[in-house]
Amino acid sequence: MIEKILIVDDSPVARKMLKNSIPKNKGYEIFEAVDGRDGIKKYQILRPEIVFMDLTMPGIDGYTALEEIRKFDGKAMVIVMTADVQPKSISNVMALGAFTLLKKPAKAQVIEEALEKAEHALRESNE
Amino acid sequence: MNNGEAGGPRNDFFSEEERDILQEVMNIAFGNATADLAELIDIQVILSVPDVQVLDFNALPSYLSETINHGARNSVTGQKFWGDFNGSGLLFLPRGTERILSKFLNVSYRDPDPSMNAVEIETLKRGLLLEISNILIGACVGKISDLLNTVVSYTPPELLTLDNPDFDFLLKHFGTEQTAIVMKTLFQFDQQDINGLLLVMTNQDSVGWLKTALHAFISQYED
Repeated sequence: MIEKILIVDDSPVARKMLKNSIPKNKGYEIFEAVDGRDGIKKYQILRPEIVFMDLTMPGIDGYTALEEIRKFDGKAMVIVMTADVQPKSISNVMALGAFTLLKKPAKAQVIEEALEKAEHALRESNE
Repeated sequence: MNNGEAGGPRNDFFSEEERDILQEVMNIAFGNATADLAELIDIQVILSVPDVQVLDFNALPSYLSETINHGARNSVTGQKFWGDFNGSGLLFLPRGTERILSKFLNVSYRDPDPSMNAVEIETLKRGLLLEISNILIGACVGKISDLLNTVVSYTPPELLTLDNPDFDFLLKHFGTEQTAIVMKTLFQFDQQDINGLLLVMTNQDSVGWLKTALHAFISQYED
């Protein structure tokens, strides 16, 4: 069951776009982190069921943050949200254990479908 | 507030939110452009966070010298575009990039290459740079236009210089009385020592339209 969602993106606009695209009627509690370092820290404190992770960020980027979060919690579900859809970028993040990758800007319906899939995967892993 | 009297960056054209939106639009657009380039060249482009600056055109050469390695010689290709969104895209690559990238395009050559004459090598160099430029600038500007719900037309890409130590020559190509809105993305080719820079520049004539378009873009995501 998804209760907490963490959005990791250095762009306040990207965070706002994503936040407003997440369904409101599900009662998700949404948290924000402003870069990879902040994302790792907040993940460890908040333990959200889902992380939306940007890749291109100053300081600690999304690749490193994804890797660190998955090292801390091998079951962490990280949905990468990026404009960088080069085949090698996609294969790199999937190799690091991302749940899926969504191309920016993602429509609300795409976000909702990704959350449904994540919810389903979480339920299966808990059974 | 710096209003650019000394030719430096100006902060009076865009609000903080408008600048953030423009940066995110540039981020999305350049990401798409690199994916298009990856279809041609089997090499990953490492992206950086884009930056938006408003400058007097006269300040552009010194801005570029500070942004790109001091004293490094660069090739510069450019493409103009027009429509609601008017301006130029410029791609800066270190001298010799085309030779390194040529091997990824299966048109590898040596410089000098005994199997090719000087004219053929020069033509190949220019062709490679123009092709990379056409993809990156065209895809990036095209995506910006698409996100901002407009369409632009382009001039063909042109090689502005193959090997230049400074950027003063650029002033000849642009009206220096204008203000440049510079959207900058630095990038690197994976495992190659190549750092490039893509600029998308527009001018004050496009500011009114741009502001309206940016607000329309973000309003799709408002509550």
